[in-house]
Amino acid sequence: MKLVVLSESPEDEAAVRILVDGILGSQTDHVAPPFLRTRGWSPLLSVLPGVLKQLHYHTDAEALVVIVDSDDSAPHQQAHPSPDAPSCRLCRLRALADQVQRGLTEVPNRAPLKTGFGLAVPSLEAWLRCGVDPHTIEAALIQRQDAGSRALRRQLKRDVYGTERPSQQVRMAHAVAEAQRLVQMIDEFERCFPDGVGSFARDVRSW
Amino acid sequence: MRLQSNGRNLAGVLDNLRDVQPERFEALNEEMGRWLPEFERILFETPKDGQRAILLHTREGHHKIQASELSHETLIALAILTLAYIPDPPPIVCLEEPDRGIHPRLLRDVRDALYRLSYPESYGEKRSPVQVVATTHSPYLLDLYRDHPEEIVIAQKIGQEVRFERLSDRDDLDEILGDAQLGGCMVQRHSGGGVPSHP
Repeated sequence: MKLVVLSESPEDEAAVRILVDGILGSQTDHVAPPFLRTRGWSPLLSVLPGVLKQLHYHTDAEALVVIVDSDDSAPHQQAHPSPDAPSCRLCRLRALADQVQRGLTEVPNRAPLKTGFGLAVPSLEAWLRCGVDPHTIEAALIQRQDAGSRALRRQLKRDVYGTERPSQQVRMAHAVAEAQRLVQMIDEFERCFPDGVGSFARDVRSW
Repeated sequence: MRLQSNGRNLAGVLDNLRDVQPERFEALNEEMGRWLPEFERILFETPKDGQRAILLHTREGHHKIQASELSHETLIALAILTLAYIPDPPPIVCLEEPDRGIHPRLLRDVRDALYRLSYPESYGEKRSPVQVVATTHSPYLLDLYRDHPEEIVIAQKIGQEVRFERLSDRDDLDEILGDAQLGGCMVQRHSGGGVPSHP
């Protein structure tokens, strides 16, 4: 399967590719041009429509994956989409992608692009701690997030990398190693992060 | 050997690094290859007696590009990398717009190079931290400091005066930011900074 990952950094992309391969049980391929980057949540909403159109009309990509950090926004819940949670980033991404994809013209011999979306509370580093720290589970992180997600994100960086300001090499090495560890315990990973990882894994398995 | 403030002796500093600390010079070469993948190595030449000059060796085609033919971005990136990798950087480094000409995707690497100077222990360095003062008008660079508002000082021009305010000192910081990017707030002037106010 030809997979495109829209991410903020090379290390995020590397980790997400390993997770997708682990969930699918097979290795995905890159699509040229290989590196799509976004600069965080707000720009992502602006670029996603263009990315979907570009991939649909001008590439042979079969699937697009986007993982976003929740930062200070509401966490996703299985009961969503809900009018009570209009700020859920995951639901907004899915709604936007649905809307854009419904407007695309069919291309001969081309299946609709498959999509997978995940929401990491409060950031991807939380996922990388799963199985290492028993307290780093989604429910606990949502509670801790209420006290301020910036401090929590910084703490998670210290926990994962040993510093709040890791080098790119350190970020990449940890992202790859932890993702490889997580795919060996994917069921527990989904149980610990049922609304972030769980819903993402369901997206991927539905392909 | 100290890098001059205009970067004029960059070739001499790099040549000295290669001679004195070859492992650091190799690490710098490797990092440069990641930042600027079209180049694989820094080379040297002696255009005149007593002068040293650098050339960059291209990965494809194996061309040797003289410094005078390199882009402004490439030279700035090389100077920042050199500062980050020399074993004894000056205790205070002031950089005017280190993002000048740099592709936005490289700005994370520029930030990391500045962090290497000011948080050496996080990068396995044993030396003392360097005080880095950098100015920017780039919302993209600012975005990278969202989790570290204590590292951002907003300079607000008001008539002939300039008022400095550390971003983390603002009580309304979370309210200002919300879902927005830090740089976006600067452009929209929510957080102030950069745009002179008329008296």
